[in-house]
Amino acid sequence: MLKVNIKKKLPGFSLDAAFSIEREILAILGPSGCGKSLTIQCIAGLVRPDQGRIVLNGKVLYDGQLGINLPPQSRKVGLVFQNYALFPHLTVGQNVAFGIQHLSKAEIKDKVTILLQKMKLQGLEGRYPHQLSGGQQQRVALARALAPEPELLLLDEPFSALDTQVKEQLLYELYELHNYYRGSILFVTHNVAEAYSLCSKMAVYGGGKLLQFGDKQDVVEGPATLEAAKLLGVENFLQGVVTCQEGNEVCVQVKGLDSEVKALIPDNKKITMNQPVILGIRSEFLRITASSSANTFSATVSQVVEEVTNYTYYFNFPDVQDLHLVARIPKQEGALLDPGSTVYLNLPQDKLFIIT
Amino acid sequence: MEFDLLPVWISLKTAFTATFIAFFLGIAAARWMVHYRGRGRDLIDGLFILPIVLPPTVIGFALLLFFGNNGPLGRLLLRLGQTVIFSWSATVIAASVVAFPLMYQTARGAFEQVEANIEDAARTLGASEWTIFWKITMPLAWPGIAAGTVLSFARALGEFGATIMLAGNIYGKTQTIPVAIYLAVEAGQMGKAYGLVFVIICISFSVIMALNYLKKRQRIGAHRH
Repeated sequence: MLKVNIKKKLPGFSLDAAFSIEREILAILGPSGCGKSLTIQCIAGLVRPDQGRIVLNGKVLYDGQLGINLPPQSRKVGLVFQNYALFPHLTVGQNVAFGIQHLSKAEIKDKVTILLQKMKLQGLEGRYPHQLSGGQQQRVALARALAPEPELLLLDEPFSALDTQVKEQLLYELYELHNYYRGSILFVTHNVAEAYSLCSKMAVYGGGKLLQFGDKQDVVEGPATLEAAKLLGVENFLQGVVTCQEGNEVCVQVKGLDSEVKALIPDNKKITMNQPVILGIRSEFLRITASSSANTFSATVSQVVEEVTNYTYYFNFPDVQDLHLVARIPKQEGALLDPGSTVYLNLPQDKLFIIT
Repeated sequence: MEFDLLPVWISLKTAFTATFIAFFLGIAAARWMVHYRGRGRDLIDGLFILPIVLPPTVIGFALLLFFGNNGPLGRLLLRLGQTVIFSWSATVIAASVVAFPLMYQTARGAFEQVEANIEDAARTLGASEWTIFWKITMPLAWPGIAAGTVLSFARALGEFGATIMLAGNIYGKTQTIPVAIYLAVEAGQMGKAYGLVFVIICISFSVIMALNYLKKRQRIGAHRH
């Protein structure tokens, strides 16, 4: 179990983050320069936070008040760098064996062989890092970090330098890895899709602050703030005022739509009448329907972009300037619409979330 | 004509010993400087490099004040019954001091070029700072270190000004090739001067060849990453 609660000030930037995970995969999501990597460096012991506490499986790694700051050497935390940071003058085998020099020769050999096999690097033991592809280097870095059996594995942007095919392969391998690796995994990314498919918990960062932390489903389906929602890839936002409430259902009056939007609020959220709120919905969840029904509004197509598997429509609304919606409609769901045509746009109630 | 090899022998002995001293001091100073974040960083760096910039006679003069019988260290040594000036040790000290900045500067550059991430990776893998230095930093910085060593040797071999100030010109004891050449020309012994010039050109040229070879290896090394 990993508990992190740290603050760190740098010139023109300050990091403030708190989260805790069990033996699971946590994705830290955020734009570049938001403090994701700094968090990882603090946990690894490469950067000293200003205050706070980091505890891993009951062992205090850092405590500002008690003045504890274990060096990276004694933290049992593995780190895979964004650029892999392999030792260029050592072979693949020597790289992997670097962290287990205290073992006997036979044990080292066994362990290296097993790890290389698991990482599908058999036969590359004698190669040098510069003789490997990006994906292979990534796997060597993983094997090297796993060799000393760390209690926590940190991955800094593991996918950023790889092309799509290699990326998917690695995604699959990391998934496999979680089956035999007994520790927690924490990885940093700016890609929601990668984060979502791999993690169980998600932390969203923005400008050095932890904006939201929780189960990935909760985070992705119910972003807590506008900033978090944008970072999570939500494109559609509707500003409105609460006009009625019945149990979990609220009506929101949005300027420009021809009727009220009905949305569901989670039990833990309190909402009052006339409260200004923002409704959000992912562009993939919008539907174009033939007739008017619940949560359906007439909208005019302003622009169309054809993509490989879907059409992306941009919608305008009569009489309002600042309301724009984007819908990604799979091609099999209907023929291409021309700009200027007016259609019924459906916002499924269970896909809408409320930001107060 | 019988050729006198004694200055050659003294020169080589001095240059090798001075290179050996500059090697360790230069690397230690460079390594310390790369990690030092305290006050007066630029000032200390300037002091380390000063012997390159100053005229060798000024260095010799400073060393003379320092090691002389009235100097701080000279007095201490005198109490132990030792005198440094005008001895073989003086040639080594003079050559070491002028060779040190070259070793220090090249080693520092080489250390700074080693990616911090790579050393950090070793840290997270449990390696001690000592292990990291010997197994990661030194091998990666090696081409630069080697080049610095060769440069230091060349500088130590060619040392004249500081040597003649501190060690004087005692045949068979402190008379190195450059000093011997100066003396031979002064005395009009052109044959002797030609011989010594030829010897030192041969040694220096081999040093340049060695340096080029190391540079080529360094380029291959850099290409690898």
